[in-house]
Amino acid sequence: MLGQLIWWSSITLEIVLLARGLYNRLAYRFPIFYSYIAFVLLQDITRFWTFHWKYDLYKPVYWVTEFMGLAVGSLIVFEIYKVSLAVFPGAARMARNALTAVFLIALVKGLLDASAGWLPASAAVEIELALRTVQAIAILALVALFLLYSIPFGRNLRGILLGYGLFVGERVICLTFVSLETHNFWFYAYSASYIGALSLWIGYLWSYQPNPQPTAGGKNLDDEYQRIATATQRWLQGMRGYFRRAVRS
Amino acid sequence: MIGSLGLLVGVFLLLILMAVATKGWMGARQLQEPPSGPIEGEVTEPCPKEFVSMVFSRSDWEFVHGLKSRGVERLFEQERKKVALVWIRQTSALVRKAVSEHAFAARQSKNLDFLKEINILAQFLILITSCWILTIAIQTAGPVWLSGLASYAQRLSQQVSNLQGAFQAGVLANANEKGAM
Repeated sequence: MLGQLIWWSSITLEIVLLARGLYNRLAYRFPIFYSYIAFVLLQDITRFWTFHWKYDLYKPVYWVTEFMGLAVGSLIVFEIYKVSLAVFPGAARMARNALTAVFLIALVKGLLDASAGWLPASAAVEIELALRTVQAIAILALVALFLLYSIPFGRNLRGILLGYGLFVGERVICLTFVSLETHNFWFYAYSASYIGALSLWIGYLWSYQPNPQPTAGGKNLDDEYQRIATATQRWLQGMRGYFRRAVRS
Repeated sequence: MIGSLGLLVGVFLLLILMAVATKGWMGARQLQEPPSGPIEGEVTEPCPKEFVSMVFSRSDWEFVHGLKSRGVERLFEQERKKVALVWIRQTSALVRKAVSEHAFAARQSKNLDFLKEINILAQFLILITSCWILTIAIQTAGPVWLSGLASYAQRLSQQVSNLQGAFQAGVLANANEKGAM
């Protein structure tokens, strides 16, 4: 009963979000995000149909669509990065390097784990947990960069980031405890985590609000960057010395 | 392994995004253009050196202790703690301001130096963590005790380096003796 409720709520909220996105033309501004929502709507309908009319196919259909959703979802992180940092080339370079580092570490860890061998019974859940953890670390790295460089976010983009980030965070926590054999609290929390994200998206993406543009400032920041970075580095080193001297005085 | 790491990352991600949502971080604010980074020769310390050295100094404490009045001692401890905490807060605010001014220039620069940025970030984190640790230490033990601890740590590290020097000299002397034989 609870499972059916979660299913129908997800489908209804996805249709509302898509219809609203087409009406306020946000679907053209964030094409990857709305393609993901359309994909998940198709995924839900396919799973629903398989569950009721071709149950023997349900498990393979579930896992295939789950991993496809994960891959398409990763593109949302790319869209957030692309839109938010379009006018901040310095912060974009930092983000590219940080994301490359995250994915390289994940790749090495994945290869090491693969050489140790997966347990066949829980392989799909474990792989999803590992991939979602990488996604969560990538989102964390991006959020840390956005905060460090004070990147201003419009309401729409902030909603996409918050919704997807909270969804991935909840999924990672649920996947740590979930058991696919017994339908316990974590099983339903795992399925319901998406409804929370959908509700948040509907609220934040109800109408279009432009992303704030940075002030140009009238200075050539490229020329000034090296001087400023060196001065900041020297100043911070000086502060460390000042700190030590003060406490040892 | 991946389970506990995932759980940690998931909880941390949820907490940070909740803070973003409730505190309005990353909102559509427009930063006022700050002056371009700290300039050499500019006042970079929150308080004069003489003043700061007195906050953590034991000499005043020894004088007050000599008065043999518990009430004056308690009052001195309370006041010193307050002053030390204000100094930490000011220092922390100054560090944050310097880094945010730097970030303003860095985010729009096409010539950003990744390693330099990592170095600045690491120094910023060390300073902010030091501020937190000092705040906790001052609140639990007081600035005078902290100064004593720092002096003790300095003496200890001096002893260790003296020992290390003596050990290296011994090893060298040993090697020379063997070479001569």
